[in-house]
Order: sequence, then C-alpha cells, then structure tokens
Amino acid sequence: MSEKLQYVGNPNSKAADGIEKVLGAAKYVGDMTLPDMLYAKLLTSPVPHARIVELDIKPALAVEGVKAVITADDFVDHGFFGWPVKDMYVLAYQKVRYVGDPIAVVAAESEAAAAAGVAAIKLKLEELPVVSDMHKALDPHAALVPLEPQIGDGNLLVTHVVRNGDPEPILAECDVVVDESYNFQAQEHGYIETEGVFAIPEPGGTVVVFANDQSPHINRDNAAGMLGLPAEAVRVIQPPVGGSFGGKDDHVYQFTGQAAKLALITGRPVRLVLSREESLATSYKRAAAHAHLKIGMSKDGVIRAAKTEYLADSGAYASQTPLSAWRASMHLAGAYRYEAATVDTKAVYTNNGYAGAFRGFGNTQAAAASEVAIDELAARIGMDPIEFRLKNCLRTGDKAFTGNTIDHEAGLAQCLEWVRDQSGWADKRKTLGFKSGDDVLKGIGVACYFHGSGLGGEGTDYARITLTVERDHSVTLQSGLTDYGQGSRTVFTLIAAETLGVTPERIIMLRPDTDTALETGPTVASRASIVGGNATKVTAGKLIQKLNMAAADLLGCSLEQITRHGEDFIGPNEEPLAIEAVIDHAFAMGLQMSSQGYWQIPVIHWDFEKGTGTPYYTYSFGAQVAQVEVVKATGKIQVTGVWASHDGGKIIFPKGAHGQLMGGITQGLGYALTEGFSYKDGYPQKKNLKDYHLPTSLDVPEMETHFVETNLAEGPFGAKNLAEPVMIAIAPAIANAVFHATTVRCRDFPISADWLKAQLA
Amino acid sequence: MEVTFKLNGEMVTCPVTQKLTLMRLLRDDLKLTGTKNGCEHGDCGACSVIVDGKLEKSCIYPARNLDGKEVLTIEGVSNPDGTPGDLQQAFLDAGATQCGYCTPGMIMAGEALLLQNNNPTRQDIREAISENLCRCTGYQQIVDAIQATAKSRLNGGAK
Repeated sequence: MSEKLQYVGNPNSKAADGIEKVLGAAKYVGDMTLPDMLYAKLLTSPVPHARIVELDIKPALAVEGVKAVITADDFVDHGFFGWPVKDMYVLAYQKVRYVGDPIAVVAAESEAAAAAGVAAIKLKLEELPVVSDMHKALDPHAALVPLEPQIGDGNLLVTHVVRNGDPEPILAECDVVVDESYNFQAQEHGYIETEGVFAIPEPGGTVVVFANDQSPHINRDNAAGMLGLPAEAVRVIQPPVGGSFGGKDDHVYQFTGQAAKLALITGRPVRLVLSREESLATSYKRAAAHAHLKIGMSKDGVIRAAKTEYLADSGAYASQTPLSAWRASMHLAGAYRYEAATVDTKAVYTNNGYAGAFRGFGNTQAAAASEVAIDELAARIGMDPIEFRLKNCLRTGDKAFTGNTIDHEAGLAQCLEWVRDQSGWADKRKTLGFKSGDDVLKGIGVACYFHGSGLGGEGTDYARITLTVERDHSVTLQSGLTDYGQGSRTVFTLIAAETLGVTPERIIMLRPDTDTALETGPTVASRASIVGGNATKVTAGKLIQKLNMAAADLLGCSLEQITRHGEDFIGPNEEPLAIEAVIDHAFAMGLQMSSQGYWQIPVIHWDFEKGTGTPYYTYSFGAQVAQVEVVKATGKIQVTGVWASHDGGKIIFPKGAHGQLMGGITQGLGYALTEGFSYKDGYPQKKNLKDYHLPTSLDVPEMETHFVETNLAEGPFGAKNLAEPVMIAIAPAIANAVFHATTVRCRDFPISADWLKAQLA
Repeated sequence: MEVTFKLNGEMVTCPVTQKLTLMRLLRDDLKLTGTKNGCEHGDCGACSVIVDGKLEKSCIYPARNLDGKEVLTIEGVSNPDGTPGDLQQAFLDAGATQCGYCTPGMIMAGEALLLQNNNPTRQDIREAISENLCRCTGYQQIVDAIQATAKSRLNGGAK
C-alpha cells in the first residue's frame, strides 16, 4: 500500500470501546434492570434421551410470584427453527435429546419464585435408548435422535467430499505412509459472561430484546418467525458481549424467543440470564471428532498423496456442524502440495449435548490431525520438522489439496522461518529432546496452518455499513456486524477515521440494532474486518464526497481543488477550513449527511456433490512453535514458551491483533491439555468451572507474536482474516513438542496427563 | 440483620440476610454492576473486590461479615472526576481488554497485588491474577498493564 496511514496499523491505536469496560460502566445483559422486571428460569432435561409423556405447567402457575410459564405449544409450529438445517425447537417438542435441553420457562417476580415454579412443573419422561458413541450412531439398530431422519436413514446429518485425483495408486508406490487416527473431545467456549437476554414489551404488541448474541438480524428473524410476528415487530439490540468465540448464537436465539414470548404474555420486562451450570449443560460446543489420515511421501521427503476421513459428533442438533464439518473437510490434509487427495466426511446425531460454531470452525480439529501426521512423516525419515514443512508447504501459485490455486501472496514460508529463527529452534532441537534419565523432559515442536477466508462455499459473504455526520460534528457508524471482544468496533472506527480524514475520537459506533442497522449477514468466520472493513471504506468514500461538496461551496472552488491537512479542508488560497465549519455548512446546504455502502467478497464456487472447485477466495497462514516440559512422574505438561507468526495481510489494529493471537493460542493450549468436555452415556462429565479447567495466567507462558504483512488487494488496506486461525496450530505444536521431549506420539486431544504418565512409566 | 461498612470511601448501612453474598448486595441491592457475575462459585474471579486490603471473591463472601469492613470495588478505583485511574488507563494502553467481562475483577486483582507488593515480578503478577479467568487475551497484556502501573507508581506516578 502506498498510502501513508495515520490510524490504520498504528501501534498506539486503542480499543474504541475500552473506557467503559475498564471503568466497570459497560452494561452487559445481566447488568440491566427495569422496575417491574420479571426473572425467567429454565426447566431443562435431566436425561439424554426421552419422550415427553406429560408436561403440566398448572402447578407452577399456582406458585406465588409466578406470572407465566411457556412450553413449545406457545409458539408457531412449536417454535421450529434452525439454519442451515431446521431441526431445533425453541423448547423441547415431543422429545428431549440431550442433558440440558430446555423444556419450559417460568417468569416470576423473583429468582427464588422462578426456581420454585420450575420445581413445581410436572414433568414425566419415558427414557429412550441413548446414542453416545459417534462411531455407533449409524448402526442400523441405533436409536433415532432427531424426530425425522435428516438425510437418508438414521442419524446421518451430512456428508462432504473432496475429490482431487486418485490417491490410491500413488499411496501404493510411496516409500513412507503414515496411516493413523486422531481423536478430539468436545470443547466448551468458556466465555466468562454466560448467555442472557432481556425482553421489554412495547405498546402495540412489539418487543425489544437485548441479547448477547453474535448475529442480531438472524436472531430477530428466528424470534419473529416463532412468535408469528413480522420481523419489524421484534427489535434486537446487542449490548456489550462478554465473549462468544462462535458460542452465542443458536441457544441465544432460543432464549430470545422465550423471553420475548414471556414479555408479550405478561406485559412486563423479562430477564433470562443463565447460571454457569445451566450454561455449561445447555450451550453448544466444539464438535468432538475423529480423523483418519493416510498420507504418503517419497523417501526424500516429498509429500505425494492423502486419503482422509472425518467424522464429527453433532450431538442432539445440527446447529453449524454441517458447515464446520465442511470447513474441516477443506483443510484436512493441511497446507501442503499434493499430487492427489481425497476427503470423506460424515457428521452424525447423538445424544451428547450438541455441537456448533467455535473459533476455528472445524479447522481446529483438521489442522491438529494433519499437523501431527506431518510431524510423524518428518520423524519417519529423520528430517527436521520445519525443514520438512518448508519443503512441502503451500507457496504463492501452488495448488491446495482441494485442487484450487493459491492466487494471492502466501506468507506461510515466512511465518515458518520467523518462528524457527526467533525460538532458537536449531539449538533447542539439539539440546532439548528425550533424555531417559531426566525427571523433567523438555522438547520443542512446531505446527502450521492455512485457513480459508470468510464464509467461502458456506454462503454469500457481504456487509452493509451506514455512516452519518451528526450536528454535533461527530460521525456515527452503524453495522449489524457485532463485536463480542474481538475488536471489530475498533477496526471499523480506525478504517472510517482513516478514510474520512478525521480522528478516531470523532467516530461513534452505535450498538448493533436491527431497527437501525442494515441487514449485514452473520458475524462469523473471522470475516467482519474484511467485509465490514471494506464496506466501511466504501461508505466513508461516499460520505467524504458530500463533505468535499460543502467545502468547495464554502471556499468557492471546484471539488478537485480541495486538499486535506489533518481534519482541515484546504482550498486554492491555502487557508485551512475547520471540519466543524464544513459540517455546519453541509447542513445549511440541506445535504443529507448519511451514506450507506455495501461490499461483497468475490464470488467463488465449490461443487458440493463432486467435491471440486474453489472453496475460498483466499487464505491466511501461520506457524507456531511450542516449548514444553513434561514431568515424568505425573505426565503433567507445562508449556514454557510460544512463538507465533501469522500472515494476516495488513494489520489494522495492532494491539488488538496481538491480543487476538495470544488469546487464541491460550484457547488452543486449553484444547491441547485440559479442556475435554466429555460425555458418558450422554451425561456431561463437567458441571462447572472447577471441573472444566480453562487455562490460567500460570498455565500460559510469555509469548512472542509476529505478523507477516503480505498484501491482499481485495482486503481493506490489504487486511486478511485473523481471529480464528491463530488458535489452531498450538495444540498440534504442543503435541509435537511432547513427542520431541518424550518420544510419545499424542494423537488424542486433550492430551491426558494420566495417559502420558502411563506411557512414560 | 444490618451491616455498616465503608464502600468506596463512603459509609453505608444495608439490610442483609444470612445467605446474601457481597456480590448480590453490590449488584442487586446497591446497583454497582461493575462487579461481574461469572460463576457464583468462586471459580472465575469476575466478581473480585478488595475487602480490608485483601482480594476477595464477592460471590462467596457473606454480606453479614461486612460490619466494620472497608470494601473497594471497580467503581471506587477511577479518579474523582470519573476518568480512568492509572491501572485502568494502563489496561487501555496495553490492549488488556477485549470483551471486558473479566476486566473489573482483573483490575481489582492488580490493585490488591500492588497494595502488598509495589515492585512485583511478572511471575508475581501471574500468581496474583491466577484465580481470575480471562478467555480472550491470554493474560500477557494484562500482566503488561499491571507491571507498567507498578513501575509508574514507583517512579512517583499518580496512584
């Protein structure tokens, strides 16, 4: 980029919404109250699979303080909803399908009365056979989890394929073939703020809902549908959201419908905020998965072919698993050149919770599997793991294993070189490594990744933004794209400031609000910075034209004669005109000082039937090195160093970007070591944050982070995606470091300390 | 039952029950919602406040024990004119806030440490915030912010 940038990429730029957060003044859903407010509480399923024989709410209505109780019968079509697969109900209908499945909701004058109401509901369940092992979900005699089969018979949810040549004959002639299975438990998002909605009835039968969701417009449409109202009758506003990572959509849509219904029935504001236990049981997770990879190479270390399979446990409902399983399929053989590769993916229903979107979206599992497999290949011929990756990794112009060409500049090799040089790799590979006499075993390992940008074949990838100059000389920015901590408010603010030539302090980003923000598609897939950033740039370009018109009119010159110095407008006589004067004059001229802009990612095509095409228009890349110590007596793994480099194109908000990298790595570290959300016969084994161990400040080492700034012409100022891919390499890097330290190959995640201890005994 | 205690510099008297926690008293009764509810079991630290100079998880601290105590919450940390205090400003400068939900508790953990140790090492800081969970940042920029504040206070910067 030749432009000289003032705010975009400036290391001193600060979070646009940080002040209210550090002051404790930011109002999250659970912080909101209104006089006359009712408290809502859920009745959820205590068993994994059962027919609802009786659900009598009358005893609950008799409890003092209880104002209303609702079930699926209170909604249009029993509150049937879901996308891309419609298989969920706002409250359980006919059956419960997992422990935590919401059945009824009580609204009452106090939390205690709501709890008493829940306890008084008469619920009779007839237990059904439980499907808990994803490998047995497709057995002919397995109980049917959904009410109707989704495709074909039984519990099959979706299949995906990749067909790029025929790997079989090549594998047959390969000198070295790794043929292994990799297993992943489910992972909990672990946002520190639990799910919550606050519904306020309005005169005329409409309702306003504050919801800590990710995608307010989709939430609104679902709620309106199940309430039998036009979309405009439901207004969804997103307050600050205390973390999401993909995790606050589908079930927050349920809670939105429930609270809105209760508010409409009672005519009073209703707040529904989940306890931590309710959140852990009820919320969707990262899918548990099984990957089988067969990868072959020549004896001099040239990767040739891959035949791979993937099985995802979607649990009780589809949620986003059809799409995350597709993304897993598009990345399963890793960021390497192949002569031929195939993928065969299935996702199945079980009675284990349910799986949905979570940072990395399928590539977390896919990259962990392939990066351990690649390490195994390197080890088989005694080649240095980074040298092996550099020899085979995707570079600009190469073809991905899916058959499409990497058209844009690919920074993967630079990322690998940076982590190698920065971590002291060459020395540590020699000085560390398995020593049988040591009590504490030390090692260093690497993993890398590619990650398709945006939705890819998952859907149309666009955004709309509105910018409005206000009479107080501020500029408001409106978008349906949301910020749940990842920093998109700051990114949009910096881009708008840069393009308009005003200070970031002048830009005020309004809360996402379906009444005022234009429909913008979902805030998922690390796409907000790219599509929203570009839409902001387009919109700001339109708005600046109007300001220039006012300045030219005031200065009596042509548009072309206007130049800028800071916020000032300069005419031919070189006298600076303050922006306030220009704005005042624009209003005096009667100019409409608002602009809207639209931007869409270039259209690509993937043929889902044939398994061929271009899954994404571009990719981001990265590499991470982990250093570990393993205590032989306990099997406990401590990560003692992390070096991470990400090719995210131009970095717009550097402080936020480094924070995204380190936060993503920390989630990946948990995924590698402690965060298994497992089920036994359908019953979740972790009930609260004592059982489910999120990484603490003592589990995470000091990290060194770095960005390779390749240029993507289509990105705003050259930016690519960032938030998701940065979490996916650390788990395999840790597993590969453990192999260096112990010679034990870890293929199941999280890596159990007890298992490792047994291997070392 | 009633308790009288000092809250952010001012004496308050509140009716309490046997089961009422400090977090519920602050959030529900006194409408000080800067103290966050993350788990209500003392597992996450989002509700951290300072009682008599010591970091406490307010969600498991019985309100009936407050009589005669001195409580500091996030609302009492900012400057009198409402601008961020030095540690709060350091969180902004270091990029230590993402979703912001753990932030008040983290800032209280940082303040509690600095009351007891005016020159902490990075490891001291990591230990001091080790019962405060953050899911967004990976902790490093939080450690940076607390360390920068310690240095600035040692050099005579404003507390």
